[in-house]
Amino acid sequence: MGPLYKFGWFDFAYSLQLAGLTGFMFGFVLERAGFGNARKLTAIFYLRDFAVLKVMFTAIVVCILGLLYFSVFGWIDLSRVYILPTFIWPQIVGGLVLGIGFVMGGYCPTTSVVATVSGKLDGLVFIGGMILGSFIFGELFPLLEGLYEAGSMGPVRLSDVLHIHSGLVAFFVCLMAVGAYALVERIEQRFGDREALPGGSKRAKRTAAAALVFLGLILAIVNPDRIAAERATVSADETAKTTEALETTAPKPEKPASSRFKIVADEGC
Amino acid sequence: MNQRYANPYLIGVLLGLVLLFSFYTMGRGVGSSATFSRIAAAGVELAVPGHAQEGHYFSKYLVDRRSPLMDWLVFLTLGAGLGGLFSAFISHRIQGEVVRGPSINISARLCLALAGGVLSGFAARLARGCTSGQALTGASELAFGSWIFMFAIFAGAYATAVFFRKEWL
Repeated sequence: MGPLYKFGWFDFAYSLQLAGLTGFMFGFVLERAGFGNARKLTAIFYLRDFAVLKVMFTAIVVCILGLLYFSVFGWIDLSRVYILPTFIWPQIVGGLVLGIGFVMGGYCPTTSVVATVSGKLDGLVFIGGMILGSFIFGELFPLLEGLYEAGSMGPVRLSDVLHIHSGLVAFFVCLMAVGAYALVERIEQRFGDREALPGGSKRAKRTAAAALVFLGLILAIVNPDRIAAERATVSADETAKTTEALETTAPKPEKPASSRFKIVADEGC
Repeated sequence: MNQRYANPYLIGVLLGLVLLFSFYTMGRGVGSSATFSRIAAAGVELAVPGHAQEGHYFSKYLVDRRSPLMDWLVFLTLGAGLGGLFSAFISHRIQGEVVRGPSINISARLCLALAGGVLSGFAARLARGCTSGQALTGASELAFGSWIFMFAIFAGAYATAVFFRKEWL
């Protein structure tokens, strides 16, 4: 059951190797999409090319569906996944400033790395700027601490805020994605350069959109939160039973039964 | 010379699977902005040892006795560089250049790249992550703040895009 690291499948040193592999795939797909080129990236802000939105939204929808289906099948324990905590004010201000930095510099942090390795000098300069910006933040931190901690809400999810189960949220996100795709394709037809945009048959897009909505609909009916909660109570019972059995049969177990699930603490980003 | 870029929907699916792989193995998503913050912390520690002590923002990178660069996200960023290099190499896209629109000169473009980088580095620390570490990762876990953050990025960029029109078009 995942996440493998949280269940002690491998140690820190191996996790770093895995980070290299994950990063390799990450950088590879970003470059494939053309995200090592600032003009390709910023074209979204001039309504010319919506590749950034399509890639981001598709990745998010696929990952949401993947996580929830994995949870339903019992392949991943979502309570062991690190949920990013919400600090509403710094996230709004930081998002606005990051957006300005994006359209000004032409990159976001990861895409600037991809740009640099493909020989773009502006990507390298952007990286230098980011290191400088982090340093400035670090030095000014005493002044910014109030804003940095403002609006703390803890690790809340959309399902907690909207008071609906996460399968239903996933279904709405799928609908929103399909709606957004349809909208941006129309805008691209109007303002974009049709020659430069990657094609794709209309039929394939319709089929994929239908499949997406269907997968979301199943989750909305199945309610992954309830299934995960049920599984959690069952496994808690089992753990209690095993511990009890161990206590009665074995004289003194050297380690408690739960110790094989070693939870490794981590920080976010 | 330049091959056509891949279909964005296909790339989106692949990127989603990479994210899912990261969640399945590590229980966390991807990210990269912290790497540059850690480089800054390592630089500070090297230049002025002991400056980033208690209470300083960078002290959180220096808690263990190991180097601030011995971190999961740093290795992820190194991997991303290699992956990007490989992809650019097989498509013959490695070329020394400054990406800019036809009506801006190189030095102005590089100044804007530096300024944009400073803003991004600063904002990513404030928001505890960047487009990948906060927006992609958080939105996939349905984290509330990350969704707000993602809309804020697009709001900030669209609101100011008109001032940088000459840089790109």
